[in-house]
Amino acid sequence: MLTEEKNINVEEQVIAYCKHNISNQDIKHPLYPARLGAYELFRVHGLPTSRDEQWKYTNITSKLERIPSQSDVKPVPVNLDNFINNFEIVKKAKENKDSVLVFMDGAMQSQLSIVNSDMETVSVTSLKKDPIPDWAIKLNSEKHSQNVNEMFNLNTVLMEDGAIININNNKGIADNIYIIHVGNNDGFYNYRHMINVQNGAHVNIIEFKISNKVDIEALYTSSIIWKIGDNCVVNNVKYQAHNQITIGFNQQYADIANDTEFNSFTISSGSKLLREFRDINCNGSNSNISISGINLLDGDSHIDTMLTVKHKAPNTISREKYKSILNDNSKGVFQGNIIVDDIAQKTIAKQSIDALILSKNAEHDAKPELEIYADDVQCGHGATTGQISQDSLFYLKSRGIPEEEAKRLLVHAFLTDALEEIKDKKILETFADVMNNMLNRVSKGNLNV
Amino acid sequence: MFNVSNLTVSVEDNEILNNFSLDVGPGEVHAIMGPNGSGKSTLAHVCAGKEDYTVLNGEINLNGEDLLDLEADERSTKGLFLAFQYPIEIPGVTTLTFLKSSLEAHYKANNKEVLSTPDFMKLVKKKSAELNIDDSMIKRPLNVGFSGGEKKRNEILQMALLDPEICILDETDSGLDIDALRLVAEGVNNLRNEKRSFIVITHYQRLLDYIKPDFVHIMYNGKIIETGDSSLALELEKSGYNNYIK
Repeated sequence: MLTEEKNINVEEQVIAYCKHNISNQDIKHPLYPARLGAYELFRVHGLPTSRDEQWKYTNITSKLERIPSQSDVKPVPVNLDNFINNFEIVKKAKENKDSVLVFMDGAMQSQLSIVNSDMETVSVTSLKKDPIPDWAIKLNSEKHSQNVNEMFNLNTVLMEDGAIININNNKGIADNIYIIHVGNNDGFYNYRHMINVQNGAHVNIIEFKISNKVDIEALYTSSIIWKIGDNCVVNNVKYQAHNQITIGFNQQYADIANDTEFNSFTISSGSKLLREFRDINCNGSNSNISISGINLLDGDSHIDTMLTVKHKAPNTISREKYKSILNDNSKGVFQGNIIVDDIAQKTIAKQSIDALILSKNAEHDAKPELEIYADDVQCGHGATTGQISQDSLFYLKSRGIPEEEAKRLLVHAFLTDALEEIKDKKILETFADVMNNMLNRVSKGNLNV
Repeated sequence: MFNVSNLTVSVEDNEILNNFSLDVGPGEVHAIMGPNGSGKSTLAHVCAGKEDYTVLNGEINLNGEDLLDLEADERSTKGLFLAFQYPIEIPGVTTLTFLKSSLEAHYKANNKEVLSTPDFMKLVKKKSAELNIDDSMIKRPLNVGFSGGEKKRNEILQMALLDPEICILDETDSGLDIDALRLVAEGVNNLRNEKRSFIVITHYQRLLDYIKPDFVHIMYNGKIIETGDSSLALELEKSGYNNYIK
C-alpha cells in the first residue's frame, strides 16, 4: 500500500522558519511562553498529513511546495488607499461611519484604518502594539493550552500582527467593524485577531480578504479567537476571494456564553489551497448559532472546511448550512462534527452540506458526523452531492433563457437558502454585487454538465 | 407555417417517432390523440429541443426555418412554446425572476428594447387579469407548492407573455379538476388568433369540448394513422382506438 510521503523539504523549511522566528522573539514578551510552547509542539508534530483523520482528504504538501520568497522590504503600493476605496463595501462602510481596519500582508495599516470615534464602546489595538490587554493574553493562553491543532500552533509561533477588539456596547444597536485584508506581496504571513464581545453587546464584524493581483504567491496562517458573553448579538460575515496561487490556513475559535445569538457566514472563492478550521463552543445555555457558508470553486482550487460545533450546555440551537459550487478541476472537502455533551439536553442541531458539481473533474468529499451523549435532543445531518438538473435546465431554456443564464439562475437558486443564513440584510446587500460577480465567473467556463 | 416532415427519432436505439409528418397552418388548432406509448410527448419534447433524443431523419420547420439545429432557447425565441405536462419546480428562483429572464431573453433575441421593471410588472398584471390568474403567484418560487391547476395556469401565463406563434400543449389537462380544466382552456382560447397555432396533445376528448380543434389526429407507433375533424375525437371517446390500430 502506498503511504503518503511528506515533502520533507517544505516541512523542514517551515520548521527552520519557525526556529529562526522564535530565536528573534523577546523572551519577556507576554506572548512568548505561548509561542515557545507552540514551537515545541510544532517541531515534534510537523505539518499534518492525510494519515490524520482531520486531514484525510487534503494533502498539504502536494499543494505547498515551498515557502514563497519574500523581500524584507514589503512595498506598500502608493495606490493602496485607492485600491481599498475602490471596493463598494469600503466606500459604503466609510459613508456609514463604520470602523474599517486595513491589513496588508498580515500587518495592520494604521494610516488607512479608521476606528469610528463615535464608537466609544469599541476599542481596537494591534498585536504589535504594547501593552497587549490582559484579557487578550489570557484568552490566547487559554486557547493555546487546550489546543492540539498543528496549524494553530504554527500560527501561534509566527503571528506578527492582528486586531485586538473589545466591544462593550449596551445600546442594542450593532456597531459595524470591517476588517479588510489585502494580499499585496509574495511571502509568508501570519496574523491573529482576538475579539472580546462583552455581555449585552451587539456587533457586526465583516471580514474581507482579497488578493491584490493574480500573480501574488502568498502563504498565510490566520486565527481569530472570539470570546462572546451573555445576551449578545453577533453577526460575522467573512468574504474571501484569493487568487489561484494563494495558500491559506484559517482557524476560528469561538466560545459563546448564555442567551446569545451568533451568526457566522463565510463566502470563499479561489485559492490553491484554503483550509477553514472552525471550532465553536456553546458553553452557555439558550444560545442560538448559525455557522454557515458557501464555497465557489473553479480552476484548481481546493477548499477544505473542518467544522466542529460543541453543545456544552442545555437548550442551545445550532444550524450549519454549507453549499459548494465546484467547477473545472476544483476539490471541496467538508468535515462537520456536532458534539452534544451529556448535560446539553434539549439541544437542537442541524447540519447540511450540499455540493453542486459543474464539471466532470471536480470532486467533493463530505463527512458529516454527530456525537451525542445527551438523550433529549433533536439533531440531524445530511449531505448531498449532485449536478444541475437537466430537466430544470431544459425548462428554463424552453422559455428562451440561454444556457449560460439558465445555469447561473439554477446555481443561484441552489445557494439561496444558505444565503438566508446571513441574518443582517444590510450585510447581505453589501455582498450582493461581489457575490454576483463571483457567481458569474464560477458558473461560466468549462461547464461539462 | 409549422411543418414536421418525415421525422424519425430514437431513444437508446428504440425508434419512438417513425417518419412522422404534420403541417400546421396559421391559426389552426390540431389535436393529437393516441394510446399510451404512441410517441406524443416525445414529439412535443423533440420539437422544443430536448436533448435526450436522437433525430435520425426529417425536419421541423417554423416559417421555413429548420429548428433542428437550434438550441431549445433559440426555438423558444423563434416563436415555439411547449406547455409542459409536468411543469418543473425550481426552488430558489421566484416566478417573477423566471418570467423576467424569459421575457428579456425573447426581447433581446428579437432586437426589441427590454422592458423596465415597472413596465414588466404592468404587463404581467395585465396578462394575469386577462387570463383570470391571481398574480400573487409570481412572488413564489417557480411552481414550488403550486397546485396542479396553478402550475398549468402559470404555463398559460408564460405563453401569454412570450407571445409564441406555435404552442404545443403536452397533456395540459392531466391532473386538473373540472374547474381548473375550464380555466386553463379559457386561457388558451383567449390566446387563439388568426396567426397563432396550437398542437393540443391529449388523452381525453373532454379538453376538446373547451378547446375546439380544426383537426384531430390519431397517433400510433410514432406516426399519424388517421386524421379527421372534431367528430373523430367524439368517435374515439365512444369506441376507443381499436378500430384504428391495425
